[in-house]
Amino acid sequence: MPIDPNGPVPLYQQIADYIRQLVAAGVFRSAEALPSLRALAVQLAVNPNTVQRAYDQLEREGLVYARRGLGLFVAERGAELARNKSQEALYQTFMQAILAGKAAQLSGEKIGAIFQRALAGADVKARNQ
Amino acid sequence: MIQATSSDLAIELVGVTKRYRRNTAVRELSLQIPKGAAFGFIGPNGAGKTTTIRMIMGLLPMTAGQGNVLGINLNSGQDQVKRYVGYVPEQHFIYRWMRVGQVVRFCRSFYETWNDKYCSELLDLFGLDGHQKVKHLSKGMVTKLALVLALAHEPELLILDEPMAGLDPLVREEIVERVLHSICERKRTVFLSSHTLSDVRRVSDVIGIIHEGQLLTVAPTEQLVSGTKRIRAVLEEGQQPKESPEGTIWNRVQGREWLITVKDFTSNTVERLRSANPLQNIEVIDLGLEEIFKDYIRGAEVAA
Repeated sequence: MPIDPNGPVPLYQQIADYIRQLVAAGVFRSAEALPSLRALAVQLAVNPNTVQRAYDQLEREGLVYARRGLGLFVAERGAELARNKSQEALYQTFMQAILAGKAAQLSGEKIGAIFQRALAGADVKARNQ
Repeated sequence: MIQATSSDLAIELVGVTKRYRRNTAVRELSLQIPKGAAFGFIGPNGAGKTTTIRMIMGLLPMTAGQGNVLGINLNSGQDQVKRYVGYVPEQHFIYRWMRVGQVVRFCRSFYETWNDKYCSELLDLFGLDGHQKVKHLSKGMVTKLALVLALAHEPELLILDEPMAGLDPLVREEIVERVLHSICERKRTVFLSSHTLSDVRRVSDVIGIIHEGQLLTVAPTEQLVSGTKRIRAVLEEGQQPKESPEGTIWNRVQGREWLITVKDFTSNTVERLRSANPLQNIEVIDLGLEEIFKDYIRGAEVAA
């Protein structure tokens, strides 16, 4: 289940992120249809209005486009847009972490060093998998 | 903002109060639920949720106030309401000595709009067999039967009072899925009271929090979640807070740490807090629905 109904991230945001990941990973390719509103609502067990809101956002981003009566389809540049967006999301995640570090009175240098250590740690983890 | 007209509303309560002798169970509660909305009603035990629902159902007269449900006036036509509303009460009223098929036939006789085909589809879907005796069904199966009986007359409004209480996660998931299906099928209004906040969040597009008979807030679900933040501020040595920010729901000072939960958070909230108080630093924390609920209740208890 990709949705966390206990977390602080709005559910429509979580659904939009989930679809973006699927598009970035090529699960839905350009010109392919997304699941219908109702199908996804029942599958994820969320209110259809919440899925609608996620789909509206993806449409505004240009990731998908609507075809009257047929539903939503992945745009030609969908995968590229999805990857750009995930860079933006990563930036926001780092930003949150850096602010938490600053709140704990850590210097920029110290935070940078911790980042390097985490990056090296992630490489080790990836090798071991 | 456009004022909703009564025909757009499935439920409208204005200043509804219920008093029992010395005890006020519901106090001047006003609420508007548009048709097609899914409303989540949350509050601690004994907060007045079931009393409110029973007044909406026309099963309990109000002491004061006005109410309208699907265009039916609760002060004059309250006996009509239950014919148009699908209701899953907290305590299942189903006759335990009957067989499932008998219960279905019994309930069917009360509703003009009963849909036999839909009813048998739902029974099949939940694996309910007409020959089974109700007293031999598990708690989960009884709840499913109650949901079938509530949906089979295809009501415009579905009211569920703690339907998930005491059920295992798999049955809960089935119930939630079925309720969502029924929202998808047609523009059905849903009123869900539950302690299972993750389910409430999934189903509802608007949430109301009630405490000791009073509504503390009514807000769109995701606005409630993303707009409510906890601020952790560190006070300067030997200083006390001077001024809580606007929209403070709850706050607590412990040593130099000052925790404040605010609604309708914006970047201005932090700026104003910083300029009005002697603070060393400020951290803003995102909250899930459970934390938000607890802070609303804690705040109301401090205020009382």
